[in-house]
Amino acid sequence: MKDRILQTLHDLRRYAREKGYEVSLFFHVEDSYLMRFANSAISLNTNEHLIRFEATAYDGRKRASYEMITNLDDVEALKTGIDTAAEMVEHAMPLTYEPTIPVLPETFIDESNWDAELASVSNEERLAYFNTAVKGLETEEIRLSGIFSNGTNVLAHTNTRSEHAQYFQTSDAQITAVLSHERLKWEVSAGQSAQRKTDLDPQALRAELAFLVKHYREDPPQQLPLGNYDIVFGPAATADLVRIMNWIGFNGGMMKRGYSFLKEEEVGRQVLSPLFTLTDDPTRRETFPFRRDFTGIERKPFPLFERGVFKGFIWSQDEADEFGAQPTGHTVMHNSLVMAGGEMAVDSLEELVAQRRENDLLYVPFLHYMNIVNPSQGVVTASSRFGALLLKADGSIAIPYNVRLTHSLKTIFGENLAWLSRKTVPHNTSSSYGARNPTAVIVPRFLCVNDLAISHSNDSF
Amino acid sequence: MREQLRREIERLKSLGATYVDARWYPFEEQNYLMMWNGNLKVTDASRESGVGVRVLYRGAWGFSASSDLSNLRALFDKAFDNARIAAERVTFPVRLAEKDALQASFESPCRIDPFEVPLEEKVAFLKAMDEKLNQPGVEQRTGDLNFIRKQIVFLDSEGSEIEKRITEVFARLRVSGRDEDGVSHVRTFTLGRRGETRGWESMDMEYFAEQAERIVREMNQVRTAEPCPKDDRAVILLPGIMYLQTHETIGHALELDRILGYELAYAGGSFVRLEDFGTLRYGSEKLTVRADATLPNSPGSFGYDDDGVPAQNNLLIDKGILVGAITGRQMVEEANARARRRIFEGSSGANRATAFYRVPIERMTNINIDPGTDGTLDDIVRNTERGIVLDGERSWSIGSNREQFHFAVEIGWLVEDGQISRVVKNATYKGDTLKFWNSLSAVGDESTWEVKFVDNCGKGQPNQVMQLGHGVPVCRFDNVRIGE
Ligand SMILES: [Zn+2]
Repeated sequence: MKDRILQTLHDLRRYAREKGYEVSLFFHVEDSYLMRFANSAISLNTNEHLIRFEATAYDGRKRASYEMITNLDDVEALKTGIDTAAEMVEHAMPLTYEPTIPVLPETFIDESNWDAELASVSNEERLAYFNTAVKGLETEEIRLSGIFSNGTNVLAHTNTRSEHAQYFQTSDAQITAVLSHERLKWEVSAGQSAQRKTDLDPQALRAELAFLVKHYREDPPQQLPLGNYDIVFGPAATADLVRIMNWIGFNGGMMKRGYSFLKEEEVGRQVLSPLFTLTDDPTRRETFPFRRDFTGIERKPFPLFERGVFKGFIWSQDEADEFGAQPTGHTVMHNSLVMAGGEMAVDSLEELVAQRRENDLLYVPFLHYMNIVNPSQGVVTASSRFGALLLKADGSIAIPYNVRLTHSLKTIFGENLAWLSRKTVPHNTSSSYGARNPTAVIVPRFLCVNDLAISHSNDSF
Repeated sequence: MREQLRREIERLKSLGATYVDARWYPFEEQNYLMMWNGNLKVTDASRESGVGVRVLYRGAWGFSASSDLSNLRALFDKAFDNARIAAERVTFPVRLAEKDALQASFESPCRIDPFEVPLEEKVAFLKAMDEKLNQPGVEQRTGDLNFIRKQIVFLDSEGSEIEKRITEVFARLRVSGRDEDGVSHVRTFTLGRRGETRGWESMDMEYFAEQAERIVREMNQVRTAEPCPKDDRAVILLPGIMYLQTHETIGHALELDRILGYELAYAGGSFVRLEDFGTLRYGSEKLTVRADATLPNSPGSFGYDDDGVPAQNNLLIDKGILVGAITGRQMVEEANARARRRIFEGSSGANRATAFYRVPIERMTNINIDPGTDGTLDDIVRNTERGIVLDGERSWSIGSNREQFHFAVEIGWLVEDGQISRVVKNATYKGDTLKFWNSLSAVGDESTWEVKFVDNCGKGQPNQVMQLGHGVPVCRFDNVRIGE
C-alpha cells in the first residue's frame, strides 16, 4: 500500500508540475471495521474501505480545493481532480495574506504507530472480545450496547514545491461497552483505547463493568438536591473538558477571532490551578501522534500549561499566515494532549470507593452532550451519564440520577481543582464523523473539583 | 450497472439471504464556500461515487460499501460475511414491515442548478454579503454557501427500483462582536424555505442584504445590552430557536430506534416508552406535531426513503397526546412485537443514510408543528405579562434520554406588560421536556410559521450527518427558568 500511494503521489506531482500548477496533494486511506451492539445483539456489522484524495491549488493569494472519494487505480480521475482544483483557483478570490506552500525538508515515513495485528482483528475476534467483556453480566433486562471500531488510517501528502513526501500509517481501536437496564433505565459503561493489539484487555473492561453493575443493582437510586458538591470526574469526562479547551482555549486562531477564554496577555501568567499541567506530547504513542506536522516541522513536546501557568498559543500554518504568527508545528489533524497526574494514590474505582472521606463525593465518569454556552467566558454545559455514584461521607453509596453542570473551564481547572490521581490513562476521543482520525487524550484516572454547583437534577434515570 | 447489481442481489438471495438491497450513488457532489472577514478561506468542491450493500441473514444485518466498483462480487460477499457473523448474536431477529415494491423516481424542485453557476458568481455573492456585514461593532463576519447534488439508485430483492435526484442549498451569514467586558456575541441568519424550489434562485441578493443588515443591527444591540436576568418567565420562541427546540426534544426523542435502545452506546435513549403511544400527554392541547416528508421543497422531503418506502405525512403528537414515531421497516416490527400490540401500522418512511458508505437509520423528515390560533407575534407579545422573546441558537445540550435541556440563544427581548422593553445578552433557558411542552400556552398563526432547513443533524455510529426540515410557528411557554 505504502509504495503504491507514494508512487501515485510522485506521478501526480509530476503531472501537476508539467501542467504548471501549484498544488498540494493529499491522500487519506482508511480501512474501517465497526461492530455495533444494541439490545445485546450485533445491530450493525460494517466495513468501509475508502480512499479520499484532495488537491489544493494555489495561485499567489488564491486557494481552492477539490476532494474526491476514489480508487488508486483510476489515475485519470485523480488527474481530473487536480485539473478541477487548478481551474477553480483561477476563479477564487485572493486572500488578504499569502498562504504558505511548505517545502518538506525530507521524506518522512512513520509507520511506528501501526500494528498489523490490531489492524487485522477479525470479525470473530471482535465478537469474542465483547463476549468476554460482558460475560455473566447480561440478563433478560440488563442489555449490552457498544462498539468495537478498529482500522488502519493512512495519510500521505506532498506538493509541487517539495521533492519529498510524508506518510503516516496508524492502527487504532476504540471500544465502548454499555450495560443498561431495560426497565429501570440505568446505564453504566466502560471503554478502552488501543493502538496495539496488546492494549486490548477485555478482562479489565469486564472488571470495571462488573463493579458498576453490582452497585447499580444493590445501592439505592437518589435524586440529588440542587446545590454544591465535591465532584470526582472520570477519564471520559476529563478528556471531554480538555477536548473543549483544545478548541476554545489555546488555539491561536480562535483567540484572535474572539472565541477563546484565554487572552494574549495571559501568556506567562497563572491562569489555572497549580495542579494543572497540560502538554501536547507527540512522543506518546497512545495519542496516535503526528511526529511531523503537514508542513514538515518536527513535533516535540509543547507545553500548554505548566502548574497552571499558561505557556502559549498553538498556531497552524494557515492561522499563522493570516495573523502574522509563527507556526508551532500544529498543522495536524489532531494534537496529542497529555494532562499530568497529581499526587493522590487513587488509581481504580474500587480505591476511590474505599477511600475515607469527610464530605460526600459525587463521581461523574462521563459528560453527555457537552456544548459551549459562551466561548469567551469558557462556559460549558453537559449532563452526567453512565455510572455516576454518590459516595457518601459515612461510607455508603447511592446511585444518583443524572444532573446538569454548567461551569467555566477556569472554575473546573482553576481554584476549585482539589486533587488529581497520580495514575494517568488514555481515553479515546475519536468521533466517527467523516474521515477516520483516531484520537486519544491522556488524563488523570480521577480528578476532583470542590464545590461545584449542579444546576438541574433529574427525578428518574 | 443496474443489471450487475440485480444479479448480485439475486445471487445472495440464492445463498440464503432473506433480504438484500444496494444503493448506488453514480455521483454525489458538494460545493462549499466560506468567507471569513473578507477572506475566502474555503473554496471546496468534492465528488464521490460508490455502492453500499445491506444484507439480512438469519435476522441480522451485514453492510459493506466501496468506492471501487471493479469488484462488485467481492463487495456483496463482504456484506454477506458481515451478516453471517452478526447472526451469531441475535436477540430479536430482524423482520421488515410489509411494503409495496415500487418502480419510481423523485427529483427535488430546483430551478437553477447551483452546480451550473460559475464560481465567480458565487464568490461575488459572498463578497457582496461580506461588504454588507462589514459594519461598526462587527469584529468577525462569515458567510458560507453549501451546495449538494446527488443521484441515488436503490434496488432491492423485493423488486424495487427507485431513482432520486436531490439538490440542496444551504446558506448562512454570521456576525460577532465583543461587549465592554470582551465577551463575544453572535447573530446568525440561516436560509430556510423560500418559494417552491431551492437552487441558485434561493440566493436572492436583496433578501440576503436585508438579513445581513438585521443581524448586524441586532448583534450590536446585544453587545451593548444588559445581561439576561435569572428569572422564571414566559418564553416566546421565534422560529430561529423554536425549530431546534422541536428538533432536540420532540424529533430525536421520537426516533423509534432510540426508543428501542439502539442508540444507547452513543447518542442516548428516549424517555418515551412503548406503552406511552396513544396515552402520554406530551404537551398542552395546543401542540400538534407531524412528521411530514410530503412538505413541498424541503430537505426533509425526499420522495422515498432508503428502505424504498414512499414519503408520508404522519401525526406524531395530536392535541398534546403522543400518537406516532419516526420509523423505518425494521423498528416498527420489533416495537409492535415487544409491546404485544399493533402500535405502528407500517414503516413511516423515515429510514435514511447520509452517504453510500453508511447504513440507513431512522432520521427526521420535516418535523413540523401545526400553526395555532393565538394570532401574530405581536398578538402573543401583547398577551404576555412578563416574558422574553428568544431567537437564534448559540448552544444546545440535551439529557441522554431527551428528558431535559439547556439552550443558550443569540438574542432576547424582555416583555413587560405586553410590550417589548429591552434587548438582553447571554440569554439562556432550560427545562424538563414534558413539563416544558405542557406549559405551551400560545401557538402563533400561519403568519408566524416558517420552514427552517437543517444541514447538520448528527446521529449513529459511524456518525451520519443528515439534512432535514422543521416547519414551526412562534410559540409561548409559561414559567420557564432563564438566565442560568
Ligand atoms: Zn439532530
